[in-house]
Amino acid sequence: MSRWLRCGGWLALLLAGTATAQGVTLPPAERFTLENGTDVVLVEQHEVPLVGLRAMLAGGASADPDGKEGLASLFAGLLEKGAGDRDAAAFAEAVGAVGGRLSADAGREAITISGEFLARDAGLAIDLLADMLRRPRLDAEEFAKLRERRRSFILAAKDSDPGDLVPLYANAFVFGDHPYGNPVSGSEASLAAIAHADVRRYHANAVGGDRLLIVLAGDFDPAEMRARLTAAFADWRPAAEPAAAVSPPQAPAGGRVLLVDKPGATQTYFWIGNVGVARGYPGQADLDIANTLFGGRFTSLLNTELRVKSGLTYGARSVLVQPRQPGTVAISSFTRTDATTEAIDMALDVLGRFRDGGVDAAMIDSARSYVLGQFPTDFETAAQLAAQFAQLAFFGLDDATVNEYADAVGSVDAGSAARVIDAVYPSREELVFVLLGDAASIRESVEKYGAVTEMPITAPQFRPPEER
Amino acid sequence: MALFAEMRRRNVFKVAFVYLFGAALVYWLSVVVQTQLGLPWWTSRLIALLLCVGFPAALIFAWVYEITPSGLKKAIDVDQTQSIVFKTGQKLNAALAVVIVLGTVAMVADRLLPELAVVEPPPPPAPVFDAPASARVPPEIASFTLANGLRVIVWPDHDIPNVALYLFVRAGGRNEVPGITGLSHFFEHMMFNGTATRAPGEFDEVMEAAGGANNAYTTNDVTVYTDWFPRSALETVFELEADRFENLAFVPEVVETERGVVYSERRTRVDNDNTGQLYEQMMATAYVAHPYQFPVIGWPSDIEAWTLGDLESYFRTYYAPNNCTLVVAGDVTAEEIHSLATDTFGAIPAQAPPPPVRTVEPPQTGMRRVTVEAPAQTPLLHVAFHAGRTADPDSLPTDLLLNILVGGDSSRLHRLLVEEEQLAISVGGFRGDSFDPGLVYLYLTLPPGADPSTVEARLFDALASVADDGVTEAELAKARNMMLAEFWRGMATINGKASALGDFEVFHGDYARLFDRAADIDAITGVQLRDVAGRVFRRHNATVGVFRPSADDGEAP
Repeated sequence: MSRWLRCGGWLALLLAGTATAQGVTLPPAERFTLENGTDVVLVEQHEVPLVGLRAMLAGGASADPDGKEGLASLFAGLLEKGAGDRDAAAFAEAVGAVGGRLSADAGREAITISGEFLARDAGLAIDLLADMLRRPRLDAEEFAKLRERRRSFILAAKDSDPGDLVPLYANAFVFGDHPYGNPVSGSEASLAAIAHADVRRYHANAVGGDRLLIVLAGDFDPAEMRARLTAAFADWRPAAEPAAAVSPPQAPAGGRVLLVDKPGATQTYFWIGNVGVARGYPGQADLDIANTLFGGRFTSLLNTELRVKSGLTYGARSVLVQPRQPGTVAISSFTRTDATTEAIDMALDVLGRFRDGGVDAAMIDSARSYVLGQFPTDFETAAQLAAQFAQLAFFGLDDATVNEYADAVGSVDAGSAARVIDAVYPSREELVFVLLGDAASIRESVEKYGAVTEMPITAPQFRPPEER
Repeated sequence: MALFAEMRRRNVFKVAFVYLFGAALVYWLSVVVQTQLGLPWWTSRLIALLLCVGFPAALIFAWVYEITPSGLKKAIDVDQTQSIVFKTGQKLNAALAVVIVLGTVAMVADRLLPELAVVEPPPPPAPVFDAPASARVPPEIASFTLANGLRVIVWPDHDIPNVALYLFVRAGGRNEVPGITGLSHFFEHMMFNGTATRAPGEFDEVMEAAGGANNAYTTNDVTVYTDWFPRSALETVFELEADRFENLAFVPEVVETERGVVYSERRTRVDNDNTGQLYEQMMATAYVAHPYQFPVIGWPSDIEAWTLGDLESYFRTYYAPNNCTLVVAGDVTAEEIHSLATDTFGAIPAQAPPPPVRTVEPPQTGMRRVTVEAPAQTPLLHVAFHAGRTADPDSLPTDLLLNILVGGDSSRLHRLLVEEEQLAISVGGFRGDSFDPGLVYLYLTLPPGADPSTVEARLFDALASVADDGVTEAELAKARNMMLAEFWRGMATINGKASALGDFEVFHGDYARLFDRAADIDAITGVQLRDVAGRVFRRHNATVGVFRPSADDGEAP
């Protein structure tokens, strides 16, 4: 039982390497592009004999075909289920036998492969990565097993971790038909619609050297690594199709409520927000300070009111999601069923005060110390460095994003923060509400927030039927 | 002219000189003191302002009053023949000379011997550190015990300008009895809610404004407080931590608010989580005597009922320096932690050791079963076996055995039950750290509609085959490599270092054993694993829990 569920959302937006008292300076990196367009970043760090690996394949769940949401995610899962000379069992054995880690996951805009190996096994890691990407087996039986297991995982989450599903309902409700509305891992309905031929086609069309970024950080010789990567990837074909660009989403009208009914639930999980801002937002430092104060740390305005002062919840926070196009900005919390509107009203009240200039110089100083004091800990290990360099390269951000971040945070003042708060955080009228709980108990009381759309948690998709 | 003569007679000019030189000396001293003590920048400005205001006041005072043998009198009331202004004037001359000499000496000293300007406190005696119990302990690590019994371990690591601090208190669910179950965990929450000197919430406000973050967790055995902060916050964090250990206060209204927070935590982790519900029932079934049977979060009736008195007596009993271990890893030196710990925690008095937990769980003599039914779609199967304490020799072979059974996609049970037979969608397991004999715990999530008894039979077959036939050399080699890699990954961060040092000190009895870990892992043999499996994986030693989805009305079909 820990004191509170730490939220990493906003911290993940911070990037940084070698830390000084007031900032972080990235270690030098060798960057080059292979003949076929694969981008490579190599970062030496010799403190411990480990190598961190991060590869990103542009595309991801945003490009999933309509009705087949979860395709990129299933494809990513199958990359671990046999490649090259190894079947699924042999592949897992090869990784485990040397104490390594290697996994593939789909996100909205990329499939990401993460690995960590002892330095002596760096060669094996590259061989396994090349096998996964170029020679995945995509075995029919493994496909059927994995698809069924993914479906079961959704059911298990509906039983035991309903809070984890709330953002999926929220994305579907806020983004509608826009690709950001897709559930990354699919729904019960969409998984059933994906055929084995779809993942094979996905490999031909959406996977290739032109879409690939490889980052290695840790204890290796860069010249040797360059030669090895060139041999493994330079002659790989491009994807048959170009990666589709995602258009900016439209923010939906506020005053709408999605109520997901879980009969018998003793608490209501709520998400209140709308469309936010994209990665590379020019006022990022102001936004980080603002969100830290609003709902990004224990003493934030939201957590202070909803937890510390009133005891209505175990935790309340604000979450920013910033993909290539504007993502979401939202309040997220949960409370006992009979306190649902009390907690939501309180959150709305906090948002109102926050937007009406509730951030002063002393608060900004405190948030500044917090943001700068915590961020070096995201850059301690080779695996963390690989992840940070991959984020920079993938989103086309330069090193200054990190190296000058402390200066940017240092120059935030009440005026600049107020402008960003006004621009990013929705007003009361613009808010969309997503609630998951016992509908029979709260159905009538939440009508005051707007027109209510209701769906059962047992529905096989996350989008409300009338929204399709 | 007569005015000037009278002013001279009344020593106004001498007072002016003495005042000016004296004021210059006082101002200079204030600047020195302000710099040395780190007082706010306006301290010396304020003093200068007061001195300026005082100057005309002193002159007027000198004009109006005269010092006489019978005390202070108005000058016009003093008989000129009885006046001693001349004597006073001589004293003022002497005072002026003294002030000028002092000022000169100070200025010269300031220029030439700045280090003499402020008297340095005598250096504290060099700290004495304990000798480590293993030659493998890195030389930079230091440990010591304060006079009040607080054990302190320091691992300096200067890669990033940050520090991780873990404070272990030997108090948890095992120290509870019916009526106060969950009190250890509730107490953990109250440790953030105010002291005699700080209001509720101030701990977090000060910590976060200094750049620090914190958390805490409670288990059956310990309560652990964790801080992660930039080096610049080191003194602040020590002051905050020692303050709450020494001066914790309980505000009745805050106790009620926090009760609501803990109930919300229970709803999230147990009531609305089928895995959490089944786990709670499993512990209550596997243990019939020992307090490990209580949920760490507490039974609902106890969450509603514990009192201020319960909290106060708990604080006195368990939150004593001699019942705690402090671990610091990061951008620090052992000497400064010794000095800080002495200055902050050193003043907290030791207490009588807490009463021992007497109850020993009697041996289990037959398989136990427990069922939870609720509206749901996915069944769950949990199986637990009584095993030993963390400090027992069996704990490491048990960990290797668990790695072979459930460690990753190439593990035995994952291959068999998830991949080959598709009886489960996931399988996991652990051996929790414990002071008293604990459990080896396996948990499986089953596909919707699965029959738990079929899966249970296959699981027991697989466990029996390990007890009968042991493991392969390849499995053992892989488990060793995975555990070694895991060990080194943990050592790559200051947080991992602090956590591991503390776990080994508290549960294995000496942090130094952490550094024997790699050699210990290499020394484990297949025969040991088979023997452990034979002792642990017996049907009579098992508790089996099933979560069975029921119809929506909450009644079993």
